[in-house]
Amino acid sequence: MGRSKKSGLAKTRAKSIALAATVFLIPALLLIAVYIIYPIIDTFLISGYKWNGISSNRTFIGLENWMNLIKDKLFWSAFGHNLVVMVFSILLQIPIGMMLATFLDAGGKKFNLFKTIWFLPYLMSSVAIAFLFTYALATNGGLFSALGTLIKGQKVTVDLLGKSPNALFAVIGVMAWQFTPFYMVYFIAGYGNIDTTVYEAAVIDGATRVDYIRYIAIPLLGPIFKTACTMSLIGSLRYFDLIWNMTQGGPVGSTELMATYMYKLSFQQFNMGYGSCVAAGMFILITVIALLFQKVFVVKEDY
Amino acid sequence: MKKKFWAVTLGLAMTAASLAGCAGAAPADGGAAPAEPAAAEATEAAAETGGAKATDGKNLPELTTEDMTIVLWDIATEDPTKTIQEGAVARFMADYPNIHVEQVHQQNDNYKQQLVVAMSSGQCPDMYISWGGGPMAEYHNSGFADDITDLYNTYDHPDFIEAAIAQGSYKGQILGIPFGGMSGCDVFYNKTIFAEQGIEVPQTLDELEAACEKLKAAGYTPFSLANGSKWTGSMYYMYLVARHSGNDEFDAAYTQENGGSFTSDAFIFAGDKIQDWVKKGYFPEGTNSMTTDDGQDRQLLYDGSCAMMLHGSWQARSMAADNQEWYDENIGVFRWPVDTEAEAKGVPQNVEVGTAIGNCFNFNAQGDQDKLNAMYVLATQYYNDDTYNEEQMASNTIPSINGFEKLVTEPNMKIITDVFFDASNVQLWYDQYLPASVTEVHKDSMTALFGLEKTAKEIGEDQDAAMKAALAEQ
Amino acid sequence: MKEREVDYAKEKRKSIIAWAFAIFFAVVWLVITLTPFAFMVMNSFRKQFDMLAQGVFHLPDPWYFANYTEVVENGFFGYFFRSVIVVAVCLVLMLIISSFAAYPLSRMQFKLRGLIYAGIVAMMSVPMHVTLIPIFKMTTDIGLYDSLGALVGPYVTFALPMSVFILTAFMMTIPKEIEESAEIDGCNRFNNFFTMILPLSKSGLSTLAIYNGVSMWNEFAFANTLLQTPSHKTLPLALGQFKGEHSLDIPMILAVLTLSVLPMIILFIVFQDKLVKGMMAGAVKG
Repeated sequence: MGRSKKSGLAKTRAKSIALAATVFLIPALLLIAVYIIYPIIDTFLISGYKWNGISSNRTFIGLENWMNLIKDKLFWSAFGHNLVVMVFSILLQIPIGMMLATFLDAGGKKFNLFKTIWFLPYLMSSVAIAFLFTYALATNGGLFSALGTLIKGQKVTVDLLGKSPNALFAVIGVMAWQFTPFYMVYFIAGYGNIDTTVYEAAVIDGATRVDYIRYIAIPLLGPIFKTACTMSLIGSLRYFDLIWNMTQGGPVGSTELMATYMYKLSFQQFNMGYGSCVAAGMFILITVIALLFQKVFVVKEDY
Repeated sequence: MKKKFWAVTLGLAMTAASLAGCAGAAPADGGAAPAEPAAAEATEAAAETGGAKATDGKNLPELTTEDMTIVLWDIATEDPTKTIQEGAVARFMADYPNIHVEQVHQQNDNYKQQLVVAMSSGQCPDMYISWGGGPMAEYHNSGFADDITDLYNTYDHPDFIEAAIAQGSYKGQILGIPFGGMSGCDVFYNKTIFAEQGIEVPQTLDELEAACEKLKAAGYTPFSLANGSKWTGSMYYMYLVARHSGNDEFDAAYTQENGGSFTSDAFIFAGDKIQDWVKKGYFPEGTNSMTTDDGQDRQLLYDGSCAMMLHGSWQARSMAADNQEWYDENIGVFRWPVDTEAEAKGVPQNVEVGTAIGNCFNFNAQGDQDKLNAMYVLATQYYNDDTYNEEQMASNTIPSINGFEKLVTEPNMKIITDVFFDASNVQLWYDQYLPASVTEVHKDSMTALFGLEKTAKEIGEDQDAAMKAALAEQ
Repeated sequence: MKEREVDYAKEKRKSIIAWAFAIFFAVVWLVITLTPFAFMVMNSFRKQFDMLAQGVFHLPDPWYFANYTEVVENGFFGYFFRSVIVVAVCLVLMLIISSFAAYPLSRMQFKLRGLIYAGIVAMMSVPMHVTLIPIFKMTTDIGLYDSLGALVGPYVTFALPMSVFILTAFMMTIPKEIEESAEIDGCNRFNNFFTMILPLSKSGLSTLAIYNGVSMWNEFAFANTLLQTPSHKTLPLALGQFKGEHSLDIPMILAVLTLSVLPMIILFIVFQDKLVKGMMAGAVKG
């Protein structure tokens, strides 16, 4: 469609495209404007005030919150944790998800049982996951302590959630456990989108399964793969749920993420002004990183 | 929790009835003994004849006869509290059919957030539960918690214990009416293990340490502690400070005036003692990784690896609900031991840690006196009435009302209640008493202390800095 | 010719080894995913005391079924059906609106396309909690507070940016020729969209249905903020009945969670084949 020539016909075509695009986009944009854009603008406004979040009096303090944010060690350490979570989420969830999907795609229907069971973690609510893993990772009677004891032959205690930096990595592991199934399903769908005749043709040409995956499927999955990375990236930068249920940011802030920090300030410490500033800062950081990622890694599609 | 509770009656319901009256009819000047039982029975009889209200003949404000709606927020999502509190509202509405109470049960986990959302949107409920302390002060300063000192001094109310009213007050104004009962903080211990090891209940810190050594030698971890929750470890810190200095050093540190500091003697003593105990293995390994909400501290008592647990008195309720038989057979209670050194210097040894009010109601009438009157009557005469208190007692909750301590018969609850009512002063949990921003630092300090990551002095300095910043904010 | 046969044998051996490895890791992963789930289910058949005293990773001894009776007696099915209604309505709306939006973003070239696409990515970065207060205000203002309708707006909208983003990627993989040939046949864009693009995006749509269906089914924060009467609440709020200020009935909570996850598993088993089928083949040939 991008190959239009400079002619009257092309112009009318461009116009009709613009019109069609508007019609298709309007419902989504309207909803987003009301439910997301308005609140985020509101957040930016509040970030200019000193406000406890409930009083009708708020004091305008200009950029003071922002100046504090730039110097705020707690915020930047939370951001650092987010980056660690991001890197490991992408490195764990996506490759494992991809491998599982490849396996299932190769096996077809006879692996349906695998698929169903592999998908279970994604279906569990964070409440249950947090509870079970607190016990599984516990120093006393936890699975890892038991495993260590088994290997070493003497009593070993592994403290995963009570110490820095163990706690952060423990939580990253649990997150990977929870979200990998989604990427698995996502890649299965990606494989499903590849024309089966492509595979048939490749087989006729003498390609093996491995060749097919390496030279045909993976390149074809390109855009899907990059979207998955972007999702994992954004997801881990704004993550809240499981951390809140498992560690609430502890011990001593070692699993504090931007979102948990913001939540505590806004809703527990009566510091909505600064909490909003953290939220706005978080929004800017995530957007910039996500767009940079798009720019660097996502090659423009050809039209 | 659930129905099991109703089996745990302790034979209290019966006895409580005979004390009826201490709930509703205490004179306004407070401090007086519970009213004559006979008078209360008369009131009850009147209520049963129909038509008459439970509040007839009492000194209370005249309530409106026009239609009115009161929006009430509590956190009673779960039985038995749910049934008990819905009962109070139902009795009120039966007596005042023109007043409709819209009772909303919020979930405890997200309750503070819900309140912030509602208040900032101009939808603050008319009456709502709070825990006193820093947050209640915020609500009051933002215009959402009415001063009810005049109402309280003019009209009838239950004979609340002084500490309960004090905890519902801010700068000399009464803001909250208690309804959740008191919570002490004591050491639960495994009687079977103590007997087997020939350990007597320790009266002094030295005896406590000796007991710990003995337990340790026998292969037990002395204390069960899930310090992932942080306020759990704080209980040890608070008690060591309180025994070492009464309320003095904490009060001084709270104002940061006259040399008051979280690095003063008692705080250093408490921090060092705790770290000494950690090193000696008195606490479970990985204590910072366990949370009390998931029951990980009770677990270590149940499976017999730990012998003691310093905790809030609600744990008696939880353990009994988990397994009444096991609880009766194995669990005893003692008060936190005496610091003999400090005692010799004349430091009072009966400052106890806990809360005189589990929670209280705050009122947001926005200038509507009729509404405030109605809510006052609801909170003092229907919550806190005889039926309500009997049911509270039956579920192992002791109302913060004078006289009820005498009715407790279950041995463990009796010890907890006696300790509490004999206290010269009740130190409210630091994490509820301190301003919210300091609470956060205090909680992290507890993790660092038990994790041996910071010394007593370092956490003292952190808490001082946070306290100074919070004071500067005000 | 002979060389080729040797090669073939070698390939076959290699392939067998590869499969053996693959199966081994597949089974390991099976254990990793199944164990916590299995213990969630098993702990829901115990009493809290037994669970704590014997340890969480212990088989129920004895099996205790009363948790389930109590969960059902406490209005489980009410919560359940309200959740079904909300999720079904929101999911259908969300899928329609997001595929509408993804279509021009993936397959049309117009001026603001890049900007809108970047904007969609930015909207994925909004921390959900900042919207609580504005959305609460809006909901009370338009009188939807405490009704299931209150959830539709936030649920649909918060799923949109990510769904549009994913669908755009999926629609990009559909060969352009399909539309071009349709255009020659005289189909207009709307026909095109409904007859060609939408059916061909089925695998993307089903992924989205799964992803958003699960998160809507488990959503807590909005539901807790926007609903207050028990008879209007959705399933994730049912847990509150077994949680107090200082108490938590864990096996009971796990029973609720087990019951709420069952329908999702059944749906997944029923619809999982929709994911794998190469739908492109038929379309291109036809």
